[in-house]
Amino acid sequence: MQDDTISYDTLDTRPLPKWLTDQKSGVNTIQPQKITMREDNSLKISFIATAIIILVAISFLTVYILRRHKDRA
Amino acid sequence: MKATNYKTLIVASLISLACTTRVSEWVLLNALPNQYTLIYFDKNPVTETVKMQNKEVVDRMKTANIQFKTVVRNEVSESWYGLYYEDRLFARYKTPPETKTLISSPLREKVASELMSGKLCVMVYLKTDNKEKDDIGRITLQKALGASPFGNIISVVELSRNSKEESLFASLLLNVEDDLKDISEPMLFGVFGRFKALEPLLGKGITEENINLMIDYLTAECSCLIKDDLPGTDILFSGNWDNPTTALLNKIIDDNPALGY
Repeated sequence: MQDDTISYDTLDTRPLPKWLTDQKSGVNTIQPQKITMREDNSLKISFIATAIIILVAISFLTVYILRRHKDRA
Repeated sequence: MKATNYKTLIVASLISLACTTRVSEWVLLNALPNQYTLIYFDKNPVTETVKMQNKEVVDRMKTANIQFKTVVRNEVSESWYGLYYEDRLFARYKTPPETKTLISSPLREKVASELMSGKLCVMVYLKTDNKEKDDIGRITLQKALGASPFGNIISVVELSRNSKEESLFASLLLNVEDDLKDISEPMLFGVFGRFKALEPLLGKGITEENINLMIDYLTAECSCLIKDDLPGTDILFSGNWDNPTTALLNKIIDDNPALGY
């Protein structure tokens, strides 16, 4: 209803109904999800996580072993 | 399973069902028709007699998509009734009896009963009474429906724009867009849902391609984009829209899933 106020000179140039133009251009149909490429950081994250775990484990073991030696001494 | 889990499951199934409903069925089940307004204009405060006669008018229109208002204005020379849709004046009446045929007519009842019987839509072909022009559009329409897999679930009714019996229906259709009254070409209105008329195809625009696009629109899966911006104008009608027959479209798509895309 809002689309009917556009002026036109002849019937041939009369604007088409919006539902028809939308249908022609495919706007009304459910659009498939657009798949976009993203940078894959999973390997980097995996390395960092592994390194952190190793460092934490080494630190924990170092502290543990040092304390054990201290106690023996 | 907990009650909350059951509820979540039910809501999820309903949402998934809603997403696969087709436009025509979704509109019939969910979209309430927009209201018309009948306004009584008078110069003087309304007398008891007028109040009584207006009450009769209101009582008659209870089941239709219309509301009633009274407006008292000094500049009104003679009392009258105005039929409005949004802010547009559709028709003027001098006396209450003239409003009797407002909310229904034989053809509108026929269209509504077709919509309630599960049909995809009713195509109302508004004729000019110029045989040559009307025949071209009619033949195109018959060809398009004959070739469409949905042709059998679409009803066609013809109406002359000069019809006396259905003058209000013709006038309501010609008010779907504000320039239609001045265009003397045959028009094809897709009527669906609870008597919603799409902006028409007219004259040379009544082509097989455009008719198929209209059918595609009505058979499409109901996306949020469509729900939020429904096209068309609701036609004034008094009808009961509860419990329509299941859409015949569903069976066709179930049998031929390829038609649903």
